[in-house]
Amino acid sequence: MTATELALRTDGVGKRYRKGWALRDCTLALPAGGVIALVGPNGAGKTTLLRLVVGLLEPSTGTVEVLGHDVTASTPRTLSRVGFLAQDHPLYKRFTVAEMLRFGRACNLRFDQGLAERRLAKLGIPLDRKAGTLSGGQQAQVALALALAKRPDLLVLDEPVASLDPLARHEFLQVLMGAVAESGVTVLFSSHVVHELERVCDHLVVLNHGRVTLTGDIDTLLTEHRLLVGPRTATDLGRAGTVVEAVHSDRHTTLLVRDGAIPTAPGWQAQPVGLEDLVLAYLRRPSEPSAAVTSGVAA
Amino acid sequence: MTWLIWRQHRTEVCVLGLLVGIFGITLLALGTQAHDLFPGGPARCAGEAGAGEACAASFRQLDEQYGYVENLLAVFYLVPVVIGAFLGAPLLARELEDGTWQLAWTQAVPRMRWLAAKLTALAGVTVALTGVFTAVLTWFRQPFDAWEGRFSDAFDLEGLVPVAYALFAFGVATAAGALLRRSLPAFGVAFGAFLAARLPVALLARPAYATPLTTMEPVPVGGSTGQAGHPSVPTSADWMIERGYADTTGRRLSWTEYYELEEAANRAGTNLNQFLHGRGIQQFGVYHPADRFWTFQLIEAALFITVAAVLIGVVVWRVRRRMI
Repeated sequence: MTATELALRTDGVGKRYRKGWALRDCTLALPAGGVIALVGPNGAGKTTLLRLVVGLLEPSTGTVEVLGHDVTASTPRTLSRVGFLAQDHPLYKRFTVAEMLRFGRACNLRFDQGLAERRLAKLGIPLDRKAGTLSGGQQAQVALALALAKRPDLLVLDEPVASLDPLARHEFLQVLMGAVAESGVTVLFSSHVVHELERVCDHLVVLNHGRVTLTGDIDTLLTEHRLLVGPRTATDLGRAGTVVEAVHSDRHTTLLVRDGAIPTAPGWQAQPVGLEDLVLAYLRRPSEPSAAVTSGVAA
Repeated sequence: MTWLIWRQHRTEVCVLGLLVGIFGITLLALGTQAHDLFPGGPARCAGEAGAGEACAASFRQLDEQYGYVENLLAVFYLVPVVIGAFLGAPLLARELEDGTWQLAWTQAVPRMRWLAAKLTALAGVTVALTGVFTAVLTWFRQPFDAWEGRFSDAFDLEGLVPVAYALFAFGVATAAGALLRRSLPAFGVAFGAFLAARLPVALLARPAYATPLTTMEPVPVGGSTGQAGHPSVPTSADWMIERGYADTTGRRLSWTEYYELEEAANRAGTNLNQFLHGRGIQQFGVYHPADRFWTFQLIEAALFITVAAVLIGVVVWRVRRRMI
């Protein structure tokens, strides 16, 4: 993998079901390496986007390229480079854990059985238990071990911790991040929970109402955005196009702006914004595409 | 893939294997005794030779001792349907039910290869199990077939059509499973679809696969009353579709007209056959001759297999287009 390689490139991707569009005009270019979080409320189109990325669905419009290859080609080679952990981490319930590993070995090109066995042994998950009898956290760990033993270059996880209790959630993320550090795999995962993301993620994609509303490197996004607090005002302070959200209280107005570090007007104070507040502000915005905020920072 | 398919479907294969095994052994045991009633083999008693005294005695005994099995076997045309539906229903439905399709199709085996392997293996098991079942059943029925022919009584138990029924059920169950995403309803749909398709096929389409032949001859003076029983044509090996009476010109009489004649004969106090004979009444039979058996088998098998192939084609297309 070269440093400049993109893990994922989508161009004008849309997916239409019978009920309507689940995803529209999705154009992304996400770098390889690191951890990418896909954030959005339930029903935003996260699962649809991830299924398009791993080739489980075919886009209605546009193209999806993963690690430089069109995913709809689906050759064994391209398939083996992408690992997927679906929502609720499905396993063959009547298979034993050992049989799940045999399934992985039978269906993959470079499956590392030893790696999976070591991971499961470390977690104390017995190989002779039926997958269906394991706890939710253990099932998630088996599914993760299976996906990692595939030795993928890109690992895609759909809401991996949503159904887990706090302890299992912590343990799962620990194993995942350990694997990222060990193997350098690029991770793309979806979540509707925003906190904790800052700690583990490098890159952020916010999806709302089937559209990408924000994407970028997390550190960069946090530098570009800030909160401006000043006297209550109805005018936009000549910052048209950079205001993400304006909140008015009795005496004050708080603006979330994406303007880099343009000097503030007299009487206004600038504050850094937290990731969670930033994401929430974008999720509260109306869904029409014309409302997109372009970066005020000169390129 | 072979291991995976076996591991995923071994329960169904074993249950069906056991079922066919038990049926097979029971029929072999009963059939051996039934065959022993015909020292020279049941085929010797078929057709014209069947009129012999020894054969007639054997047939009587066969009917008394094993007639009940033959009656039971009449519903056994449903066994191939159970085999096909039981193997086809979970093929996609179980993966969709448990969400494991997302697991199966994101490994390094492309989905079309996965689907082709599964369809081939499970359709193969369907054909094999149905084939064994049909072979044993056909052997068991040899004495009965010699007696009453197999065209009318055993058309959907023997030959090619049981395998075609099984494949039809397999195709419907697979397609229904893909749409309904549940194994059990898919099984039900396949079963229902077969029953719904079989009724019009057996009653309407099958007699029309070829133009039936008609015999027309005067009522014999000394024949038995009621049933028109001429021994030579059509024989019991032919498939009789309709029989009745016609007047001198060949116009077919309605049953009301016939009963009026019967009453008239009673009033006159004459023997019915003599009465009919005297009036020039003829008896006719509409039938398909026995040698059309295999042509009809081929046509009906093609019909059901074509439907199965179309449904499987739709499933393959949907999986290919990533619509599942």
